[in-house]
Formats: sequence, C-alpha cells, structure tokens
Amino acid sequence: MSGRPTILSVDNLTVRFDASPPFLRRVLTGARRRTVHAVEEVDFAVTEGSTFALVGESGCGKSTVARTIAGIQAPTAGGVSFMGVDIAAFRTRHAAMPYRRNLQMIFQDPYASLNPRWRVGRIVAEPMVTHGLAAPGPALRGKVSELLETVGLSTDDARKFPHQFSGGQRQRISIARALASNPAFIICDEPTSALDVSVQAQILNLMKRLQKELGLTYLLISHNLAVVAHMAQSLGVMYLGRLVERGDADQILTRPRHPYTRLLLDTVPDPHAPDRGRTRLQGEVPSPLSPPAGCAFHPRCPFAEERCTRELPSPVKVGGAWVACHAVQEDRLPHHLPGRSQGEIVSGGAT
Amino acid sequence: MSVSSVIRRVAGAWLDGDLLYRFRRSPVAVAAAALGALLVLAALGADLLAPYDAFDPASANAADARLPPGSQGLFGETYALGTDPQGRDMLSAMLYGLRTSLVVGVASVGLAAVMGVLLGLVAGYCGGLIDAIIMRTADVQLGFPAILIALLIDGVTRAVLPREVHERFAMPVLIVAIAASYWVQYARTVRGLVLVERRRDYVLAARVTGVSTPRTLFAHILPNVLGPILVIATINLALAILTESTLSFLGVGLPATQPSLGSLVRIGNEFVFSGDWWISTLPGLLLVLLSLSVNIFGDWLRDALNPKLAQ
Amino acid sequence: MSALLSVENLRVEIAARDRRLTAIDDISFTIGAGEILGVVGESGAGKSVTGTAILGLLEPPAALAGGRIAFAGRRIDTLDEESMRRLRGKEIAAVFQDPLTSLDPLMTVGEQLVETMLTHLPIKRKEAFARAEDLLRMVGLPAPRERLQAYPHALSGGMRQRVVLALAFCCNPRLIIADEPTTALDVSVQAQILDVLRRMCRENGTAVMLVTHDMGVIAEATDRVAVMYAGRLAEIGPTRALVEEASHPYTRGLMASIPSLTRRRDTLVQIPGAMPRPDAPVSGCAFHPRCPSAEARCRSERPPAFAVEASQVACWLADPARRSVSA
Repeated sequence: MSGRPTILSVDNLTVRFDASPPFLRRVLTGARRRTVHAVEEVDFAVTEGSTFALVGESGCGKSTVARTIAGIQAPTAGGVSFMGVDIAAFRTRHAAMPYRRNLQMIFQDPYASLNPRWRVGRIVAEPMVTHGLAAPGPALRGKVSELLETVGLSTDDARKFPHQFSGGQRQRISIARALASNPAFIICDEPTSALDVSVQAQILNLMKRLQKELGLTYLLISHNLAVVAHMAQSLGVMYLGRLVERGDADQILTRPRHPYTRLLLDTVPDPHAPDRGRTRLQGEVPSPLSPPAGCAFHPRCPFAEERCTRELPSPVKVGGAWVACHAVQEDRLPHHLPGRSQGEIVSGGAT
Repeated sequence: MSVSSVIRRVAGAWLDGDLLYRFRRSPVAVAAAALGALLVLAALGADLLAPYDAFDPASANAADARLPPGSQGLFGETYALGTDPQGRDMLSAMLYGLRTSLVVGVASVGLAAVMGVLLGLVAGYCGGLIDAIIMRTADVQLGFPAILIALLIDGVTRAVLPREVHERFAMPVLIVAIAASYWVQYARTVRGLVLVERRRDYVLAARVTGVSTPRTLFAHILPNVLGPILVIATINLALAILTESTLSFLGVGLPATQPSLGSLVRIGNEFVFSGDWWISTLPGLLLVLLSLSVNIFGDWLRDALNPKLAQ
Repeated sequence: MSALLSVENLRVEIAARDRRLTAIDDISFTIGAGEILGVVGESGAGKSVTGTAILGLLEPPAALAGGRIAFAGRRIDTLDEESMRRLRGKEIAAVFQDPLTSLDPLMTVGEQLVETMLTHLPIKRKEAFARAEDLLRMVGLPAPRERLQAYPHALSGGMRQRVVLALAFCCNPRLIIADEPTTALDVSVQAQILDVLRRMCRENGTAVMLVTHDMGVIAEATDRVAVMYAGRLAEIGPTRALVEEASHPYTRGLMASIPSLTRRRDTLVQIPGAMPRPDAPVSGCAFHPRCPSAEARCRSERPPAFAVEASQVACWLADPARRSVSA
C-alpha cells in the first residue's frame, strides 16, 4: 500500500479462556480443565486512515481480537501495539489514558450500548469529561451539540433518553460518543448488523464520510462480506481463531485463494446476482474447545489431504495477500472452482 | 434474558410514565397507597393529633388504668379508645407507636438496602475471591432467622451496656439487628443483576473510554439495578415492621416507655382474657392495616414491573 | 387459478392505552399450491404479524380487525381454537427464527417427530419412527438414526433448525410459514438450510410463506415476493422482475441501499428518514414523506394496487391513467 504509517499492529496475538468446571467438581468427578482457543497467533497491521476488516462466522474470534485491542480483554500471549506503544505496558489506569482517548469503539446492539438511564447529552459528554477535554458547562454543551449535528441528529436530542430513538438513531448516538474524545482509531464491532438495510446504508455512508473528514482509521468486525467489500481497503479472514487469509481487500474479494474464503464468498446471498453458480460450504464450524489438528478447516475443506490433518499451514505471500493453506502452497487448487468466476466484480460501477 | 428485560422494563416504565398510568387503573393499588399515606401522615402528625403525650409519665394515671373505649377519666379526660394498664390514652399511644414502628421499619430497610446494594455491587463487579467471601457470608447469614440475630444482638448489648444506656440505644440496636438479617436479599439480587449488566455494551463502552471502576459502578450500573431493589424494599418494609413488633412483643425490642405497636400488643396480651380486649386488639388491627397496605402496594409494584405478568 | 391461501383486506389492530393502532392495514395476497412467496420488509413493517395472523396465533393486545383468510377454499380466520389447532399441526406448519422455541428440551428429537405424526396422521408408532429417520435424512442431518435419540441441546444451531424443518414437514403440510428461519444462523449454514427448504418444497409440492428482512435470501429462494411497508403491501410480484427492476420507489430504494459484492460503489443510496410507527400514521401513501417522487396526490390519497405486468404496485406512479398520459 502507500507509504502511510502503521497505526496499529497486532503481533502473534493469542487469547484463551479457561472454561474448566469449578475446582471442586474437577476434584470430585475427575473432569479435566478445558480451554477455549478463541484467538491463536493472529498477526496484522493497520495503516493510518484506512479500514481493516476482520471477517468470519460466529465463534471465529474476531470480536475477541477487537476486545483485546480495545483493552477490555487481556491477551494470553503476543501483543498489541497502538501508535508505537505496547498496550500491555500500561500498569495504571492513568498511564493508559492517552491510548484510551485515541481509541474508541462502536458496538453491535444499539439497544445495549447506551445506558438507558442517561440522557443522550450526558452519554455523549462522558468521554470528554473522563479525559478532561472540556469543562462542564456551556463549553461542554456546545461540544455535545456539535457532535450530535455531525452525526445527523439535532441539538435538542441531547435532552432525550436513548429509548426515545430508533435503532439507527441510537447507532448515530454511539458514533457521536465514539467521536467525542477526538480519537484516531475506532473499532466498529458489527456496527450495522442489528439494523435494517436502508438504515444500514445511512450508517455506512456516515462512517465513510467521517473517515474522510476526520482522517479516522477503522477496524471493522463483520460477518457481512458485502459490507466489508463496501468499507475496507484490507481485510483478514478468520476461521476458528486463526487468520486464514489477509491482505488487500480487492484482491481477496475478487481472487480469493484460501478454500474457506472462496466458499464463504460463494455462500453469500446477493440480491444483485441471484443466479451465479455456487458451491455450498458443507458442515458447521467445530467447537473452539477442541479445534481440529493441523489446519482447522480441513474437515470441511474439499481439497484437504493427509498433510492438512496433521500440519498447521504457515502463511505465505501470494500476490497482495498472505494465505495459510497447504493446497495453495503446493499449487494444487483449481484456478476457477470452487468460487466465483474471476473478474466478475465491477468496481465503482453503478447501474 | 428475563433479568435484563426486567431492567429494560423498569427503565422504560418509569420514563414513559407508564407506571403511573397502570397505577391509576388499579383500584387496589390506589386504595393501598391511600391507606398507607393516611397512616404515614397520622404517624408524622402524632404530636398534633394525639390528645395526650404518650411519652410523658405524667400522663399516665394509675386510676384511669384499663378503661374501655369511650370512657371518662378521673379528671374528665375523654379516652376515645380507652386506656392501657398504666392509664395511658390508647389513641395517643397507638399514634406514637405507629410512628415508632414506621421509623424502625423504614430505617432498618434503608440500612439493609444500602448494605446489601453496596456489597452486591462489589461482589458482582469484582468477582473472584471478594465475591466468594461476600456471598458465602451471605449464605451463612441466611441460615439465621431475623429474630435469632436480633435476640443475639439485643442479648449482647444488654449484657455489655448499663440499663439506661441500653434503653437509650434500644431503637438503633433494633434497627441494626433487623437490617443485619435483611441485607442478604438485596446483595443477592444486586449481584445477579450486576453480573448481567457488567457484560452489557454500555458498561464495556465506559471501560473502553477509561471511566474509573467506582464511577462505572455507581453512575452506570447502579441506576440500572435500582428498580427491582425498590420492589424488594417495599415488600420488606412490611416484614421489618412486623419483625419489630414481634421483637417488642417478645420483650427484646423497645422498652415499655417507648410504645411501638408491638409492645402495645404485648402489654395488652395479659389482659385479653380478662375482657380488656382493646389494649391488644386495637394496636394489632392498626398493625394489620399498615402491613397490609404496604404489602399490597409492594405486590402491585412487583407485578407492574414484571413483563411476564403485564399484558 | 385457485389459490391455496388467500388473504383479503386483512387488518390487524393493536389495542393501546386509549386508542387502537393499525399494525396491518388492508393487505391482500395469495399463495398458490407449491409456491414460495417471500415477504420482505424492515422491522416493524408487519411481516411477522401477517404470518402470525394466518396461523391464528395473534395474542392480545393484537387482534384481527377485518378481512378474511381462506385456506384451500375454506375460511380459517373464523375457525374455533380447536379446529385451528388441528389445522396448524397438519395442513399449515410453522418454522420460527429460534429453533429452541420450537423444540421441547425434555424430549428427544425422535420422540418429538413421532409424537407430532401420531397426533395428526393415521400411522403406527413403528412406521412413524421409520418416517422420522427418513425425514432427518432428507433434511441432511448426518447419522439420522443416532440423532433420533439426541436431545435438542446436544445439537448445533444449524442441526436444530434442520430438525425443526423435519418437524414442519412430518405431516406433509400444504403450507409452511417460515418466519426468519435463517436469521440466527451463520451464512454458510443459512445457505444449507435454504437449500433444504427449497428442495423439500419442490419434492413435496409444499407452499411456503418465507418472512425475512434479507433481500439476498428472497432473491435466492422465492418465486414471488411481497414487499411490506408500514403495515401495507407496497409491491408484490415475481421475484426476478422485482429484484431486477422494481416499480415501487420504496423497493427501488431498498434494493439500491444493499451493499453488493459484485457491484461496488462509493456511497450507498440511502432512503432518508425512517418508517412511520403505528402510533404516528401518515396520510395518503405511507411512504410519501421519504419518497423522492412524491406529489400532492400521494400526501392525501392512498394508492390502490395497480397491475404492472405480472406485479401489483401500490403507487400513484403506476396508475395506468397517468402512464397512458405520459406515454
């Protein structure tokens, strides 16, 4: 990509949760300790001013990555460095404040992400109060009004409670709160998946406009590939806690290499192209409590061979993307199938 | 799911004025609230309403002891509800007794709620060892009925403190004893609600922003768990008033010089079978009315905030 | 052509504090035998309420307030509770979003299937078990014989929804009302479930009313589609025609607002504003405050459904009188 600096880099990030039965039961019934392998050795970097998307099905670990970067989930191994500072190095709340000011988050459920007992003005003002960015009083109220207008709401809305707004309007309030501390980086965790499509379009357009105007960097977490195609410049595809393919978004969406990416793209129903020939992804995602050995995708992969069942593929660079797949490395994947026919995407074309 | 929807319901109901609307449409709730308000007013205005000062030993007149309702006293006093064995006017004693009962009830419920809510918040939010210590203490506490705890505290203070001091501190001791046995319910409820709330996105948003833990607890989580607490407190108020009466009836509550409804019933108890029914029955009746009105209102409040029962 | 299900001038009202709100405002449509009709709309458009009304499962404060629903030539909106219940199990089946609400957690998959069949079909227990196994195989559940003994909680979300489909098909219903059957599932599983639904319908000649908010699902799985807006039908017609070139401005806006993998653009078309809520109804055409082509007439008069080729379009733009003038 261009020579713009890296704002966030995630190195070898691993997050595991202890899902063991309580101590007493383990002693009495001999039940064993169990570990959820939520995120395993994830590596990626995000360029300033761009959008990086993490996609995958539920349970693939994308939200855990987001929460670790947001500093509300501790990593088991590996690290996250934001604006050149390792976030694990913060020992006190005070030391982490500059990082927290610069990194904000938008959540999926607009009904749960706003405190139902607080007025909108107070919700939007909180980051500024917390970081001492504006003195309480007219200055703060002015800033809140400005933010509400930026996201397409009115000054009067500051006096209302969240339940007086529709889902889309609440998501606008969430965005206003995220912008309040003037951050450089916003994590968007499924920002539109709870919204209707016409409202989704409003929110996506708003996010794009703000990115352009304020030079924001986004980390977009989504299961919707069409939304990702619309928003992201680079992306990572996750499967059972691991990145299977990452790199330039255009390349991955038009010429996916990894069998999982190909099948996932094939599965997405697209009202604009209902009749394209498609291959179905078989089976379901296995439990992260006991991920399969070797390549985690091998039980569902039409190209799996003996090597895939025992050896974990390491990522190799193919064009503008990194792909973790033995079949790709051994060049034994058919070039066309399964997956969409190539060159189908018409970029920027409107009908 | 049900807990979080209760919370959403409480918040919504209050903000919409929905609760007020449902209140107006429930004659039972209105009647209970009206009766409760009347009793509270009577208790507050005891100084003005009572014909005689029930605390003044001079008003007690041995010659006028145990007069039936509507009697004339030796010095021409009118005793509308009769007199007690010390010759005190029953009406005055009951009004002051009502006040005492209400003060003890409200104060002990308030104390229990504050203790329970604080401990529940901390236990639910911090989890781990702190949670385990608080909740196991609560479990142990639950094993002792309120009366046992009150008897214990009363016994200890009685043994330690001289008689006059003990009498002066009788009411605070009673309040602490009752509160000590009721806080567990609040702690458990609040902890459960906090466990749900702390995972919700608005709390995560506050953490991402860097809001401090105490502020997250008190400014964000606390307002969202208060609804169910209000319901418990209302229902507990009736229980606390009855507990006070029980303790006073058993003689471990308030001394005879400080009439409460319970101690009045106890005083009259000896004379019920000699025909002097009013000394026990009238304060008993008032006690029933008071706890009934509070209980009915509390029940209604609980149902009104319960999405499963609301149509 | 005689329709399997016909809904005429259906109205559903919700009793609120001091007035009655209109949830479904005079809608009419039919479903032919073996046809898959998609019902699409944003949340609050009334698509689920329509399905619930047909099933006779409306609960207070919502109630039928007019119109008629006929199934196989017989009026069903006036049936008593008991006859409706019998009809629901056998002739009309339902599939809901959350498979756990349709399955009894305390019964094995096999017992539930057999129980349902014994209630509605003249069949012996042994035959029912054999048929249950066949059904599980047909819905693509691996190892069907072993799964008969499984409890719902032991199955994954996708497998549960397959069991729900098997339950829906077990009495050979003529109509299935599927309310967001794939919304709670991952995309890869969603596609599998839709395939099963479509294949089973084709094989058994079952009609489906597929309620969803996802235009992608509609485009993939349905023959015809009804677009609902604010409790009314905006447009109904063959899926192909509607997806490729919608007539109603709302449908057009909706289609253009969906981001696509194949046609990317810089900004998405957005419909300004939000759908009117039942407590604040709009005069004339319900879409006029958001419509780019609204005229004076749209504000005062509600448009009837005009025929545009094979579609019915409730929009003054489709008025033949007007079209002949402009043509």
